[in-house]
Amino acid sequence: MVDNVGGSSSNAENSGIREQDRLLPIANVGRIMKQILPPNAKISKESKETMQECVSEFISFVTSEASEKCRKERRKTVNGDDICWALGSLGFDDYAEPLRRYLQRYRELEVDRGNSPPKRE
Amino acid sequence: MKPFLSNHTDSMYNCSQVGCSHPMAHTSYPCGDPYFGSSIVAYGPQAINQQMVPQMLGLASTRIALPVDLAEDGPIYVNAKQYHGILRRRQSRAKLEAQNKLIKSRKPYLHESRHRHALNRVRGSGGRFLSAKQLPQSNAELVTDAYQKKDASEAENHPSSTGENASITFTAISALTSMSSNSVNFPNMAGSSQCSGGLTFGAGALQCTSVGR
Repeated sequence: MVDNVGGSSSNAENSGIREQDRLLPIANVGRIMKQILPPNAKISKESKETMQECVSEFISFVTSEASEKCRKERRKTVNGDDICWALGSLGFDDYAEPLRRYLQRYRELEVDRGNSPPKRE
Repeated sequence: MKPFLSNHTDSMYNCSQVGCSHPMAHTSYPCGDPYFGSSIVAYGPQAINQQMVPQMLGLASTRIALPVDLAEDGPIYVNAKQYHGILRRRQSRAKLEAQNKLIKSRKPYLHESRHRHALNRVRGSGGRFLSAKQLPQSNAELVTDAYQKKDASEAENHPSSTGENASITFTAISALTSMSSNSVNFPNMAGSSQCSGGLTFGAGALQCTSVGR
């Protein structure tokens, strides 16, 4: 409840979107950035914030392309195929193919579970 | 293949250039505002749509990168496939900007309750939080200081009402919970217990916070 009150007060201050609604969590971004670096490397907070802005904008960019395709085809739900198509449409072909294979494997895993919804995700 | 690669190179170069000039801002956001500002002033939305039609014809014929004219930095060349997506995103951001909904400054923390909880945790040498394992082995001075704080808080709050004593108990329980484990989930639970304590005894919580500081 106190968290909600804080959220509403921050809404009152910024009169709009809260930070956690617009950006990925900065701790998760830092953790992903750390995976590719040597163990003793350090990442400045400014780097994490800049990357946080970049990846959040990239998600909105790709999602907007997929959403536009759904709007033209008069569909309401953006699914994984639309995201893969959007990546290809925007010229990120090197990413679209691995993501398509990931999506296929993910769906096979869902079928193996007997179509039960994933509880921990 | 070469033109495709050169397009990517141009995009990366432009992105890095914009990133250098505005390290804390969106990669392309600072350019969006002047473009759409001037565009909206000059033309209406239908005019913008009319502008896009020849561009789409151009897209159908070739895959060459197209220039996007900007008042500040001159033309920026982007991947032809991304041209319309970039314009769409600029329009969305301009709309949010017009509604004054974009966050312009970051707060140092998101949750007040978690911030106050972190202020009450015991710190060791170098300013890092002490875990349950480190507490018994930490310096005697730090332990003495912590105990003195507890004694002072108890002495100061002992004459007060029972409610405030209960809030003190909540604070102690949350502190022990956080110290007992380094798990990522436990701070959330500690935060939630802290929140519940704050809700039940608002004035008591505030007084405890001031005592802690």
